[in-house]
Amino acid sequence: MSNRRRRLVPYFLLGPGILWLILFFAVPMYFMGRLSLDTGTLETGFRFNWQWSNFHDALSLYQTPFLRSFYYAGAATVIALLIGYPLAYAIAFKGGRWKNAMLLAVVAPFFTTYLIRTIAWETILSDHGFVVSTLQSVGIVAAGGRILQTASAVIAGITYNFLPFMVLPVYASLERIDPSMIEAAKDLYASPRTAFWKVTLPLSLPGVVAGTLLTFIPAVGDYINAFFLGSNNNHMIGNVIQGLYLTQRDYPAAAALSFVLMAVIMLAVLGYIRFAGSEALMGEEAVAG
Amino acid sequence: MLKGLRGVALAALILAVSVGIAACGGGGIGGGASEKVATVKVDPKPSGNMTISNWPLYIDKNTVPDFEKATGVSVKYIEDVNDNAEFFGKMQPLLAQGQSGGRSLIVVTDWMANKMHQLGYVQDLDKSAIPNVEKNLVPALQHPTFDPNRDFSVPWQSGMTGLIVREDLAPDVHSICDLFNPKYKGKVEMLTEMRDTVPLVMKCMGVDLSKATEQDWLNAIAKIKSAADSGQIRRFTGNDYARDLTSGDVDAVIGWSGDAVQLQADNPNIKFVMPKEGCMLWSDNMEIPVGAPNPTAAEAWMNYVYDPKNQAQIAAYNNYVTPVAGVKQVFEKTDPATAKNPLIFPSSKFTANCDTAPTLSGQEEQKVTAAFDAVING
Repeated sequence: MSNRRRRLVPYFLLGPGILWLILFFAVPMYFMGRLSLDTGTLETGFRFNWQWSNFHDALSLYQTPFLRSFYYAGAATVIALLIGYPLAYAIAFKGGRWKNAMLLAVVAPFFTTYLIRTIAWETILSDHGFVVSTLQSVGIVAAGGRILQTASAVIAGITYNFLPFMVLPVYASLERIDPSMIEAAKDLYASPRTAFWKVTLPLSLPGVVAGTLLTFIPAVGDYINAFFLGSNNNHMIGNVIQGLYLTQRDYPAAAALSFVLMAVIMLAVLGYIRFAGSEALMGEEAVAG
Repeated sequence: MLKGLRGVALAALILAVSVGIAACGGGGIGGGASEKVATVKVDPKPSGNMTISNWPLYIDKNTVPDFEKATGVSVKYIEDVNDNAEFFGKMQPLLAQGQSGGRSLIVVTDWMANKMHQLGYVQDLDKSAIPNVEKNLVPALQHPTFDPNRDFSVPWQSGMTGLIVREDLAPDVHSICDLFNPKYKGKVEMLTEMRDTVPLVMKCMGVDLSKATEQDWLNAIAKIKSAADSGQIRRFTGNDYARDLTSGDVDAVIGWSGDAVQLQADNPNIKFVMPKEGCMLWSDNMEIPVGAPNPTAAEAWMNYVYDPKNQAQIAAYNNYVTPVAGVKQVFEKTDPATAKNPLIFPSSKFTANCDTAPTLSGQEEQKVTAAFDAVING
């Protein structure tokens, strides 16, 4: 009896989580999947009809914004990593007593809502604003050129908005590195550069993998940045789905696109984890244990 | 003990799933076009509570409290309509089940008012309770094509869609066609509201709107698309063109007359320009949705705001075109400058070339909307 009970305990502990997943993931998924195979219009009513062509139609019509989303999100993730890694490194190893203050500074913008932060960029990047006129005088932006309502503005906005998602996990894994490991490398005559490439970077990979996933996944579906900082030529798949759902009220097409988006992200993430190695995501302890 | 626990967990799971299924599956989506439109039942004396859904910045601070004092009705006034299509997208699942989400009265633009009526989502009005509307509605708005006898819709405010221009930056923009001039590349914007933008471009192309075909709509959309692809049009906006005009990021936009009056008050360089081709005329209409609680109070509200004195208070605030006759006379006494403003009291000469948006049949609408949405969503 007690043996059996012990075997069942994990399932009970999983219970709330599973219930949550069923209620807020599996059930909505089922209805979304069903909806994506409907035909009809709002006026005539939608009917379930195994309409697989919804997927093909939606994809062929909105191929460009679909690919664009992956391009923007990918670019933003890479830039966030290039900015975020040195930042996290500096906080973790050189922060000293300012460590907490610096972490707070990374998170502080999050105390304001996402929307307000994005709209603030409209003012910062305004055609006659300080940033654009400076860049124009340096020659990076053509005279009479602009940043707002271009791809650069959208990618910059996404990078800015998701930067903390990159910095925090990278910081957490850098922070956990035992400094004696790096000392040991140096004792074995590794130059600081070799010590970084052979010891620090591999040990911080779990943070890098977590950070890139946390940045990339929400960035692909983002539509706020494209809406405020982009023009219609910079719209992402999120904008398309919103338009399909709220303006055109083509619910089946919107559901089909959402499904494809989810599937593609899932495949990309699985491939990425496989490539990076699962210990990179979980941390060595988890795999060893 | 163990068995009991497991039982409870299983029961909770089954309950949760079935609640989920019931919540999502009930009623289905769409349909309802064949339902018969009912006429509201009005009690002799208004009382109780009522919720009104309207667009933001469309009413002054005093009208609601004054109405409450005059009638004893307690009003919850919410500004949750930002876009016809989006508001409809939000309301539709409720309306399809005969509910209004507690709203007694909603305000939507002509074409949406028509669409909701066709779908059986609004009720006919009891005209005996709104004598002020019968008496004071301006003649030009008494017989719109979508509701020739004003059976289910009463205008809240009207307005014009035309050009709003920074005169210091673009002194020679006088027509919609000027927006396509390469001189203003990246410095012009158009509205995401399809029924404003596309008909104005059709006018630029010389189309007679009363005879516009589906192909005319699609041709205009193609013209807009090529301008958007080439970067001529900076972006498509709602009211947010106000920011871009103020900052000088754009020179000229397609915009709404009431906004122009408000923007001009802050920056005298911003002007409403009546396009050479004419403008679009529209009204936002009060409607009583199906399942609306307390229609008596809703009709009392309609009647109240159609008293010229009460209407003047609203019109003085929002700067749109009032649908109530007699308001100009009130302003002539209290605020002669407003009484002379052609954007608030346009003469028939001023709006001579203006049209209301042509209606689209269901099939046409779907095709045209999809084409336009493909443009504004790149």
